[in-house]
Amino acid sequence: MSKEKQGEDNGRPDLEKAVDNSRRDFLRKVTLAGAVTVTGGAAIYSGHRFEKAKHNEGMVRVLTEDNRLVEIPVEQMRDFKPDLKMLQTRGREGIAGRRWVMVIDLSRCRNARKCVEACQSAHQLRPYEYHINTLVMQESVNTPAFFMPKPCQHCDNPPCVSVCPVDATFKRQDGIVLIDNERYLVCRLCIAACPYSARIFHWQEPTQAEADKDKEYNVELNVPQKKGTVTKCLFSADRLREGMLPYCVSACPNGVFYFGDENEDAVTNGTTKETVRLSELLETSGAYRLMPELGTKPRVYYLPPRNRIFEFEEGEKKEYKEDKA
Amino acid sequence: MDETRFNTPGEQRKIDSIAADILKNVRINRSFILWMGFLSTVLVLCLAAYVIQLREGLGVTGMRDFTSWGMYIANFVFFVATSLVGMLISSVLGLIGYQWVKPISRIAEIIAIAFAAVAGLVIISDMGRPDRLPYVFMYGRVQSPILWDVTVVTTYFVLSLLLWFFPMVPDLAISKSRLEGRPAFLVKAYDILSFRWEHHEVQYRIMKQAIRILLILIIPTAFAIHTVTSWLFAVTPRTGWDSTIFGPYFISGAFVSGTAALIIAIYFFRVNYKLQKYLTDDTFDKIARVLVLVSIVYFYFNLNEFLVPGYKLKTGDAIHLRELFTGHYAPLFWTIQLGGLIIPVILLLFKKMRRPLPMLIISLFVLCGAWLKRYIIVVPPQAHPNLPIQNVPVEWVIYKPTLIEIAVTVASIILVLIIITILSKLFPVIPIWEMAEEENEKDKPFDKQ
Amino acid sequence: MKYTVPVIMCLLLLPSLSKGQDWVVPEERKGRLSTFPFTEETRKEGERLYNINCLSCHGTPGKNNSIALVPPPGDPATEKIQRNSDGEIFHKVTVGRGQMPSFRSVMSAEEIWKTVSYIRSFNRDYVQRVMQIITSSAYPGAQISLSMAYLEAERQVIVRAMATDEEKSVPVTNAGVRLFASRYFGALAVDEEKLTDKNGVAAFVIPAGLPGDTAGNVSISARFTDEEVFGSVTRDTVIQAGLKNRAGSLVAQRAMWNSVRKAPLWVILSYGIGVLAVWGFILLVMLKLRDIYTVGSALRGNLRPASDQEPTNKQEAI
Repeated sequence: MSKEKQGEDNGRPDLEKAVDNSRRDFLRKVTLAGAVTVTGGAAIYSGHRFEKAKHNEGMVRVLTEDNRLVEIPVEQMRDFKPDLKMLQTRGREGIAGRRWVMVIDLSRCRNARKCVEACQSAHQLRPYEYHINTLVMQESVNTPAFFMPKPCQHCDNPPCVSVCPVDATFKRQDGIVLIDNERYLVCRLCIAACPYSARIFHWQEPTQAEADKDKEYNVELNVPQKKGTVTKCLFSADRLREGMLPYCVSACPNGVFYFGDENEDAVTNGTTKETVRLSELLETSGAYRLMPELGTKPRVYYLPPRNRIFEFEEGEKKEYKEDKA
Repeated sequence: MDETRFNTPGEQRKIDSIAADILKNVRINRSFILWMGFLSTVLVLCLAAYVIQLREGLGVTGMRDFTSWGMYIANFVFFVATSLVGMLISSVLGLIGYQWVKPISRIAEIIAIAFAAVAGLVIISDMGRPDRLPYVFMYGRVQSPILWDVTVVTTYFVLSLLLWFFPMVPDLAISKSRLEGRPAFLVKAYDILSFRWEHHEVQYRIMKQAIRILLILIIPTAFAIHTVTSWLFAVTPRTGWDSTIFGPYFISGAFVSGTAALIIAIYFFRVNYKLQKYLTDDTFDKIARVLVLVSIVYFYFNLNEFLVPGYKLKTGDAIHLRELFTGHYAPLFWTIQLGGLIIPVILLLFKKMRRPLPMLIISLFVLCGAWLKRYIIVVPPQAHPNLPIQNVPVEWVIYKPTLIEIAVTVASIILVLIIITILSKLFPVIPIWEMAEEENEKDKPFDKQ
Repeated sequence: MKYTVPVIMCLLLLPSLSKGQDWVVPEERKGRLSTFPFTEETRKEGERLYNINCLSCHGTPGKNNSIALVPPPGDPATEKIQRNSDGEIFHKVTVGRGQMPSFRSVMSAEEIWKTVSYIRSFNRDYVQRVMQIITSSAYPGAQISLSMAYLEAERQVIVRAMATDEEKSVPVTNAGVRLFASRYFGALAVDEEKLTDKNGVAAFVIPAGLPGDTAGNVSISARFTDEEVFGSVTRDTVIQAGLKNRAGSLVAQRAMWNSVRKAPLWVILSYGIGVLAVWGFILLVMLKLRDIYTVGSALRGNLRPASDQEPTNKQEAI
């Protein structure tokens, strides 16, 4: 309720006139949920190029209050700064009707680490601080080694959330597990509880803390990062709200990542932008989840590293050194 | 018809002599000031380390993403464990009816109060943002073992405080007229805190009812405090913590460390306060037997905790146990198990060893072993997560506590000593009226109506 | 090294890949040409696109620094790639094969042609032939449109392509048409590509189990495969052919991991009752301290009668 009102207060654009008649009924409750201006910088992402190519020029896709993606003309967009309260409310609620799911095709991962870099630059992390990390895995000496990108698994039975004393980490209706820096108590029990080592802690001052100190905190991006707080992969909740694929997914050059909505039974490959049926992909590729015996019910699926058409090369071991203040 | 106790001249004489023995230590003398001065100086130095941590953040500790719980949490578990001795002595043994626990029950409660109070502070020292502590009460999640822990530590502290204070009310009444030469504020405090105690039977009855309620209440609370502390670990799916016997394992271990701490304390009170008459060789012999008993129970839980996973050697357990038995932590592990548990038990089986001085030395070993054991429980399981540790600075892989952490930990121990010193120096450490009552019972069977 | 053998085995088992060098492009695709001439501008835009989409595998053209894959991606400046016709390069980029991804959904046809423009800039001998859309099209000067109908009983979507000019309207025959269902991040192909028949009609089957929104509505759109021939004509519509989304919120049920308001009842009750009981008793004990005080006051003889009753009652009660 309050959210809708806020949207109006912030100058809800008069969308209805501008939009195609056939879509008018969808738009009754449209508010510009967030700053949806697609900036020039974002244009280098293939996601945007895709939008531009496949849709009419001068139109952008925005998410309405009732969670539909609609197209509106660019000139109807208003720059709109959401305040902290709104960012928090919508960040904790999540996007109704969605159940995000990620599929990682291990047969395609060549350790390009583009996912890692895109994620680190979006979330202001140091080179050795990871929301997503590509690991070298080998189950046993007789089985081949392979690369495994490892984001947060966004479990449906998340051990980290169960133990949190103050609702600082929480699960949303769309399946994403987020962390609220403003609430965080620094007991670090969630770090200890995660079987996937997905959570990291800001032991040092985050890289852009000084520059960002006046920025409104966005729980869906976890930026500005704060020293003495915990952080982890967010499935790029801020991008999903804008109808865009997560940072890591669109940065991969090798077609490793698929991302989509389980309710739509569709996932989109971040490299080829090809959309496929989730159920078919999982069924035909022998998909599995990490550590099923723990009963955590991850929302990340892995496709086994079979039929790889490249040689496994570990490359140079990079030495990481902690920044000293 | 007169229902007031200790009113015959014979009884008064007994009270006089006992009170004189015990109250001679209730004074602010030079050694007290020197000792407190020493403790305070060390505390201030160590607190400087905490100020650095507050300013710079937890980065100044040796903890990193993989071992994110280090010495502080180990210390916290140790403190909670040691505080359990209050319940063991006054409650379990007291309710069974052992008379020999009477002179040491107040010392046990002092230990319980000190360790429980500081345990809460230790947790705060581990928190990067102590200013957000009120969030626990504002947004507390009833599903979180942290919330349960905060609740039971607070409750246990209050119960221990009451259990220390309630039986002391008659003593305060006895003492307030015998405090010549002590500071006026102390006499005034004794007067207020004695709650118009007149040694009347009705008052005794009310007090004994209250104490009985507390004694019963503190048993589940004490079990809860340490079971919940063990659940901080056991509710996570982490190998090495993911154990169903962690509750009893921790509690039996708590009795061992608590009893050892108690033995050390009563040794010092016996020698420094010259209380050989009350803290007798027999008391030591009895409490040594308790230590043997709880150590054997603890050994039994150790056997379960290590043998069962060691038999199956599931992937994670195999790595964890190899680290403990033959790997990086092996020297520490075997020192603790042998020097802190097995050898002390064997030694204490001999009567010669169940004497004050040997027991002091043995208990020091047991207590140090107990502290290190908590370290072994907390730290190594984090060093080997399910997924490999890769692409991070090498120093993140193995946890090494920094000087800051050691200093803050020392500060917590100093704080415990300060609390014990204040409580034992300003108030009688041995229940005067209970000693008198005991002597009366020895002289003539007491008519309980 | 130890993976060389299994990798080679895999290659042998995959007939399409074992052909190695010859990646056969269908005849009708080989001769396709760009509809616009390659200029310095298209080359620049093509370079930008190449750097985003191709560089990570194929390397910088002319530097021969493409990465080691089997089969090797190859440097686009080399003769091996340059001897492909424009249509062949376009097809290979569009469709992809093996480790080479399909760029059909990433770049528009125009963008792929611009990329070809950049690749050709490394070939001095190259002379471009441009497709003259008006002359080569079967329907010169005509406005091409798509219409759509949904046959609920057959679960079929009928798409009809017509070319209309001032005088008459004729069906567009033998044109590839594809049907997509709109999803959150992109378009999901429904059924396969169909060629229009002599009436300009192509029929698509909507698979059972395709999820729609909460009402079962699915937005679908039809478009031509060869957009540079027929133009980027699309036709969108909403049909009620999908499964109704009844999944609901993931945080609806009470659970250990849910927020405090959604905590399991037994946890709330056990915690609540436990805390209340213990603190109730603590309060009771505190009250006994007051009783002791009251009795003491009475014994000292400075008590008002009313309070005298209280401890007496208490004793009897216990």
